[in-house]
Amino acid sequence: MSLENDPDGWFDRDVDWEKLKAILVFMVPGLTLFAIFSVYPMVYSVGGSFWVWDAFDPMHFVGLDIWVETFQDEAVINWDNIKELEYPMGALPQNLIWMVIHVPLSTFLGLGLALLFSDLRGRRILRSMVFLAFTTPTVVIGLVLLFVYDPQAGIFNELLRTIGLEGQVRNWLQEPQLSMYALILGGVWVQTGFSMLLYSSALAGIDPSLLESARVDGASRYRRFRDIIWPLVKPVTAVVVIMGMIWVLRIFAIVYAAGGPSGGPNGVYSVLGLEVYQSAFSHPIEYGRAMVVALVELFIALPMAYYIARMD
Amino acid sequence: MRSVSKYFDGGETVANYKLDLEVEDGEFLVFLGPSGCGKTTALRMIAGLETPSEGEIYFDDDRVDGLAPADRNVAMVFQNYALYPHMNVRENIEYPLKVRGVPPEERDERVAETAELLHIEDQLGSDPAEISGGQRQRTSLARAIVREPSVFLLDEPLSNLDAKLRLEMRSELKRLQNELDITTVYVTHNQEEAMSMGDRIAVMNEGTIRQVAEPQELYKRPQTTWIANFIGSPPMNLFEGTQQNGTLDLREDNTLPMKGETASESVSLGVRPEDLTVSPDAPDSDWTIQGTVETVEPLGEYVLVNVDVAGSLVSVKVPTTDVRPGQHVHLLFEPEDAYLYDGDGMLVA
Repeated sequence: MSLENDPDGWFDRDVDWEKLKAILVFMVPGLTLFAIFSVYPMVYSVGGSFWVWDAFDPMHFVGLDIWVETFQDEAVINWDNIKELEYPMGALPQNLIWMVIHVPLSTFLGLGLALLFSDLRGRRILRSMVFLAFTTPTVVIGLVLLFVYDPQAGIFNELLRTIGLEGQVRNWLQEPQLSMYALILGGVWVQTGFSMLLYSSALAGIDPSLLESARVDGASRYRRFRDIIWPLVKPVTAVVVIMGMIWVLRIFAIVYAAGGPSGGPNGVYSVLGLEVYQSAFSHPIEYGRAMVVALVELFIALPMAYYIARMD
Repeated sequence: MRSVSKYFDGGETVANYKLDLEVEDGEFLVFLGPSGCGKTTALRMIAGLETPSEGEIYFDDDRVDGLAPADRNVAMVFQNYALYPHMNVRENIEYPLKVRGVPPEERDERVAETAELLHIEDQLGSDPAEISGGQRQRTSLARAIVREPSVFLLDEPLSNLDAKLRLEMRSELKRLQNELDITTVYVTHNQEEAMSMGDRIAVMNEGTIRQVAEPQELYKRPQTTWIANFIGSPPMNLFEGTQQNGTLDLREDNTLPMKGETASESVSLGVRPEDLTVSPDAPDSDWTIQGTVETVEPLGEYVLVNVDVAGSLVSVKVPTTDVRPGQHVHLLFEPEDAYLYDGDGMLVA
């Protein structure tokens, strides 16, 4: 290319080639890891979802057959039960229902607790107690839920007996139409610790003189929350909501611990993660189907990850 | 304020102790004192952001110390302006009217009026982050005065501005206060600000008010050695000595004639740097003190001569001088320019 064909003056520009080289060298390790562990599995799954597999070897190309089969599979989407609003509705709708209930609940509970604890004595201990659930392995949370909802020894049923609701006592994790909500509550308990922590630090970041100024300006407690606190913690809300959605999308251990690989009786609380696990690790092994379900998860998560990454 | 006290940490920390103060309608009162003297706490109690541990606060005849800030009709300007970062200048100024349910047309009118008064009409659409420190300050003032409060409280409002802007805002504030005639309580640690703006100054130290006086009186008759030391730049010179048999003995053979009591008593003699003159020859006066020149600092407007008198440094402000460091000199003053403080640091004469 000659200089006459260079209207932008690219070749006149002072490009520091040494610096550019150094930047590239420093990027190689990170990009390599990213390529091996992120890009390659995604591309491989997309490709692999068009093949029938024998264990880990692709056997023959079937095009979109596996995709069509998967979406017609009642374990993934059960159209009949969705119309009746009855469980099991399939892993995908159940996972989405989980999201719709879980995310607002854990977000508002987290904000509420953060506000409640913000100027309370002993707030550190209280915060630690709430956050403890988030630090606990989710498998353990699932086991704890088994105990909590146990019909004989469970504290939840014990509570019902104490307040005189003897008739409501049951094994909450075996009730097809209720067990899903029982598990969601457990998930909310975990995620609330996380959202509370984010909100607490966001609240601590608000200049106290802003709230004092609003008080002097005549704003009531509610107006101070609506006009000052809420707009200032909004960016955190976006993070909390999206992290919550991604967390629910990846949910696995709680469900597995509470109901085994089938996701409770008849799969009434099966989720996408469980479907991937079942297809890939239990007989008959259907590797293509596992990839399709995993890709569905990925497609739901991608725009959220993109949004988070674009935030200032 | 009637013997208002404030304790923190269950009484372990005393922020204010028995403050008694009356501020006239339309008066500009300044709380002046060093950092940590409790002046901001006192202001916050007037605002209602802190509740007094003891004592009563009245606005006219209404007791207000149990009322929330919103019910006191006070407006406050904070040191860091406390502008709401997510609202633009207009919304910031409008906010107190909005929460008080003022109808939109009246709101617009009053915001426009206030913005004009403070010369920020052009910034109404900007965010606080986009405007300069001075404009932020004006916005925060506008937000305070837009709802015509009965008391206007300012907590070191100029301390975040650069020197030039500070001077400008100082006269601006004074102009506003004159125009609006709002009772104003102003907190500062800057004595120049206090002297230039205040109708009266309440000097505070260690949580209590030491003296309330008009600026000139405060300067002319500081009631304690602490205030004498605090006001003026450089502050008043204090000579320690003993008073006995009609004379005042300062250290190193400096004796001054003294009428009055005969009892031997330790006292301090205070003389402002500008009331002293320095001369190499012994003058024909009884009111002289001897010392040795340490340094001579020509500052343009005046010359500051630091003289060593019995081991302590004495500042002298003179228009010109030909004394040199190391020279033995006599410091001369008129007896009416001298202040005598007793052993407890209280003004005697």
